[in-house]
Amino acid sequence: MTTTTEVLTPTDRPGLTRMLQRLTADSRFLAGGTDLVRSIINEHLRPDLILDLSAVRELASVGLEDGGLRIGATATFARLEADRLVRQHARCLSDAASMVGSRQIRNVATVGGNVANASPCGDSLPALLALGAEAEIWDGDGRTVRKPIKDVLSGPGRTTLRSDQMIAAFVCRTLGDGARAAFVKIGCRSTVAVARLSMAVIVDYDSDAGLLSGARVALGAVGSTAFRDELVEAALKDQPADVRTAQRFAEACVEAVCRSIPGRYSLPYKQLAVRALAYDAWNALRVCPTCEPVCWD
Amino acid sequence: MRLSFVANGVRRELDIDPTARLVDVLRLDLGLTGTKEGCGEGECGACTVLVDNVAVNSCLLLAVQVRGKRILTVEGLARDGEMDVLQQHFIGHGAVQCGFCSPGMLLSAKALLLANPHPSEAEIRTALAGNLCRCTGYAAIVAAVAAAGETMATARAACASEPSGEGAST
Amino acid sequence: MSARPVPGDLKVVGRDHPIADASVKVTGGLVYATDMELPNMLHAKLLLSTVPHGRIIRIDTSEAVALPGVVAVFSHENAPVKTYSRYRMLPGQNSCPEDETLFAQTVRFAGDRVAAVVAVNARIAGDAVHLIHVEYEELPVLLTAEESLQEGAPRLHPAGNLLHEFDELVGEASFSAAGAVEVTTTVTTPRVHHAALEPHTCLADYDESGKLTIWSPTQSVFGARTVVADLFRLNYNQVRVIKVPMGGSFGGKQEFILEPVTAFMAMRTRRPVRLVLDREECIFATMVRGATASRVSLTVSVDGALRSLDVDTLFDAGAYATSSIDYAAMMAHKLTRLYRVPRYHHHGRVAYTTTPVAGGCRAYGAPEIVAAMEIAMDQVARELAMDPVELRLRNLVHPLDVDPLSGMSLGDARVRQCLTEGAKAFGWSERFRAARGGGRYRRGVGVACGAHKNGILSADFPDFSTMTLKMNEDGSVALIASLHEVGCGSLTVMKLIVAEELGISPETVSVTEADSDLTPYDFGCYGSRVTYVCGAAAYSTALALKERLLEAAAEVMLRPPHELRVGDGRVETREGASESLSFGALVMAAKTQLGEDVIVQHTHRATSNPGAYSVQFAEVLVDCASGLTRVTDFLAVGDVGQAINRSMVEGQFLGAIQMGIGFALCEEVGLDDGGRPAPGGFKNYHVVNAPDMPDVRVLLVEHDGDDGPYGAKSVGEIATVPTAPAVVNAMNHALGTTLTELPVTPERVLAALSRGEGEA
Repeated sequence: MTTTTEVLTPTDRPGLTRMLQRLTADSRFLAGGTDLVRSIINEHLRPDLILDLSAVRELASVGLEDGGLRIGATATFARLEADRLVRQHARCLSDAASMVGSRQIRNVATVGGNVANASPCGDSLPALLALGAEAEIWDGDGRTVRKPIKDVLSGPGRTTLRSDQMIAAFVCRTLGDGARAAFVKIGCRSTVAVARLSMAVIVDYDSDAGLLSGARVALGAVGSTAFRDELVEAALKDQPADVRTAQRFAEACVEAVCRSIPGRYSLPYKQLAVRALAYDAWNALRVCPTCEPVCWD
Repeated sequence: MRLSFVANGVRRELDIDPTARLVDVLRLDLGLTGTKEGCGEGECGACTVLVDNVAVNSCLLLAVQVRGKRILTVEGLARDGEMDVLQQHFIGHGAVQCGFCSPGMLLSAKALLLANPHPSEAEIRTALAGNLCRCTGYAAIVAAVAAAGETMATARAACASEPSGEGAST
Repeated sequence: MSARPVPGDLKVVGRDHPIADASVKVTGGLVYATDMELPNMLHAKLLLSTVPHGRIIRIDTSEAVALPGVVAVFSHENAPVKTYSRYRMLPGQNSCPEDETLFAQTVRFAGDRVAAVVAVNARIAGDAVHLIHVEYEELPVLLTAEESLQEGAPRLHPAGNLLHEFDELVGEASFSAAGAVEVTTTVTTPRVHHAALEPHTCLADYDESGKLTIWSPTQSVFGARTVVADLFRLNYNQVRVIKVPMGGSFGGKQEFILEPVTAFMAMRTRRPVRLVLDREECIFATMVRGATASRVSLTVSVDGALRSLDVDTLFDAGAYATSSIDYAAMMAHKLTRLYRVPRYHHHGRVAYTTTPVAGGCRAYGAPEIVAAMEIAMDQVARELAMDPVELRLRNLVHPLDVDPLSGMSLGDARVRQCLTEGAKAFGWSERFRAARGGGRYRRGVGVACGAHKNGILSADFPDFSTMTLKMNEDGSVALIASLHEVGCGSLTVMKLIVAEELGISPETVSVTEADSDLTPYDFGCYGSRVTYVCGAAAYSTALALKERLLEAAAEVMLRPPHELRVGDGRVETREGASESLSFGALVMAAKTQLGEDVIVQHTHRATSNPGAYSVQFAEVLVDCASGLTRVTDFLAVGDVGQAINRSMVEGQFLGAIQMGIGFALCEEVGLDDGGRPAPGGFKNYHVVNAPDMPDVRVLLVEHDGDDGPYGAKSVGEIATVPTAPAVVNAMNHALGTTLTELPVTPERVLAALSRGEGEA
């Protein structure tokens, strides 16, 4: 209880690798710190080691690499909200970043921390899933592996990471020219609210033909982890960008929610409100004039 | 462990518990009790300080995270006995009632004006979205921040047009 | 009251002034209780029950005691078990069941005090609390008043679960041949957190002479003294309670929650001890605005005249009685201040439950009962196809009406004027008739009227305040009074009044806060009495000082008093001001020539308790797909008599509206099915933030007023009374629903719409 915590602050990857080897089940990573501080206070935690990632510069960098976008795990949400490359190539992620908490939280909280925390409501998760992002994982043996995000998340608050592993970056292919991306969320109030429903959508849109050719849709806050839904994606794939598709998309989202949280206390509300979410997402894609859900006739 | 940082322009070197929060180091070790703790979970913003000009909730930062950085607390807003423009406008606009949220509000507003000298009302409200107030209903605070921005803009314009150009203190 | 100056003559009263200590606050210099440092100070943390109802079978504190830095650990095993009431302000006060102990042996709600650790710092105290192990024998939980009052429900307190029952009946229904409609509806209001930004804190010290000192951001130092001194059998002069700066309270610091246990820890350790609660603890372990359900039955003539009003209220007191008997009873004393009702019947029951303790909260039952009434009135308006404003105009009280229930005059009651002026300024007629939209987003407008009071004067109880005013050798003054600044600017109000009367600058008036050893008696800051009664006391004490100045000047200047008058900062001859003496010179002359001081003590006794009124208008936009509601426009009209500090009066309305919108839409202290509170403080308890606050216009109706200083009436509580029903009425207007359960969350909106309750 009274053992002193040691803070390790590596400045490069070799140093980081050596320190990863020392981590135990009682050790903790320090990126933004928001989750760690709450654990220390609420659980009266005194980690044996705190591995401070702030001095490893490459962990915070954002850039284009091999035709893809690489986002360092310790990049803050403020960074992702404003970064030109993220806004251009991963719009749903910059949108999601802009909706995380308050300005103070966004200035500090990191995308890597958000994923490692694996909250069912984490805002970055649907966006990363829709982007088909992979987590680049470093370990104490100096190895680097890449895994799809969904294989890192194993349940609410749980990841498949070993104690000597950490997420170093997220990599995803850049979106093509015809791609449209959006992230929307519904909370208890308009800002600074935990998501009760969230969704990231990416479609390939041929504006000449008015056709949507591909779709990736991830839902958040309706299940133990965020997830992509094939049936929802099928409702958009190879469909005209019109109001009927919007309706079918919304219906598919309702069905996805019912499948995902049967019997949950929040189901009656979420299965109704997800319709709003679907239309908000659809309208954010701007593939046709604004569509309105048919309400209560 | 040893921690060194600059608080309100003064270099500080302290021995701290590695798991100490920044808010506790500021309030207890440095006696800077102007920064308040209203919730301890980063929701109310009463603990807002600037770290390298960026607003953060000091209740959610470990003190070690500010190693080598520059911290601004409410005590550091006034310079040479003269209040910051923001502080003056808070007073003039009736933006202070019980005062518990005021330090956090001022720092959030300070960060905003440093990054965006001409914020719209919506931008001000967004910047303050993480600062709760139960007394004022926010309107006077928003008005004070907008007015402070205008005052600073006017001062800058006046400086810019002056041949000898002595910097206005902001 | 003597003839008061025409507003145009006022120099400082009625203008905008920043709060007097604003510069200290914006520079971070104001020392709140959590900022205080005393030599040798210890820090306390509480262990609270995680179980809503249970007997403590075993407490093991050995690990906690052994933690280095821990000085003491307390529980029912080593603390007095004498019961007390945290609400009792005066010895022998009625309606204060003594059902609470310092530490519970039987815990009565999840949040009840089980133990406390005192340590050298707060971190260690918190770590030690974590090391205390408690075994409970769990007992049945009762989570609503309704459940608790059912036949055969388990008994929570020896005398049963029904804490109090009341029945008020006044008047007779006026029946006529013309048709009438009857509307019955039940409105429920939630358990709410006051959400003052400053967490609950108390600091106490006990010295070897047997003197106990308590520093507390309390709303009544004398009340704290009563409870603590009686509990520990100390003389009242051995207990000194000092009001320290407060970061808001809204009623949440008007009962003595932390003072007894903090005093106890100081007495045992013989060192200063400070107890600070975290936000979660503030939400569920201090006090809440109690949940209510009111069934309202209105019989109304087809022309809109109220004939009969029947109300049945169920009030959830939570685990301990505290103020709930009085609080619930007060709910029956609001509606006849608002409407002329030939017959008014109000039955109420107050029940114990195994939930967070209900206590005083801003406007003390008025928001709850007015929400019920005003939502019901809108249903009547719909029944009669009558404009909601017209319906209210038909029935609102008139100036000088007498409240039939209390027999007291409502005074210069300007609620009708507030309604007509407000309706005009809001554009009510056009907006009410405007198309509401049939699509996803629907717009609606709503109105609500509210009534409250001005002080605690009743047929059975007086209201008064004693103040001392002395003048210094330079002409500046000190007002020595038991004032309790909660953050809304009461001290500034007193400065302005004294400054106005003496013709001096407010900067030359200092005002004390309450210190039970040093300042004369005052009940405290609650009951909307501070401007109306304490302000009147400041006014009449200033008048008394003026008399004293004239008296002293007469002796010094060797002139009869009637030849002299008080000017701006001086006493001068009436004719041509040929001779004058500055205040400072007069004080010096009195001291050195007469051997006298210029000092007065005066008691002002209230002789009236008129109505306080506000009418509020809301516009909302409801997203029928997500259920989220935005308040898009808001107008508040206040019958304030005379604004003393204009910008703070407006500021009070704005803050009150933030609270009322939250009450309507999103605030609720939630419990799970097992009676445990939702974890997380503000993360789960949402108050309205800056982006969600609408633009609010405030119109002040400043008519004659009554016996308050310059005609001023209370503002801080009345301002939040009609807010929530204005919002809910606007939602019902937008949607065609009859939403009656507050908070009207997105769930409730969608549930109503999906049941087909809305109209396109």
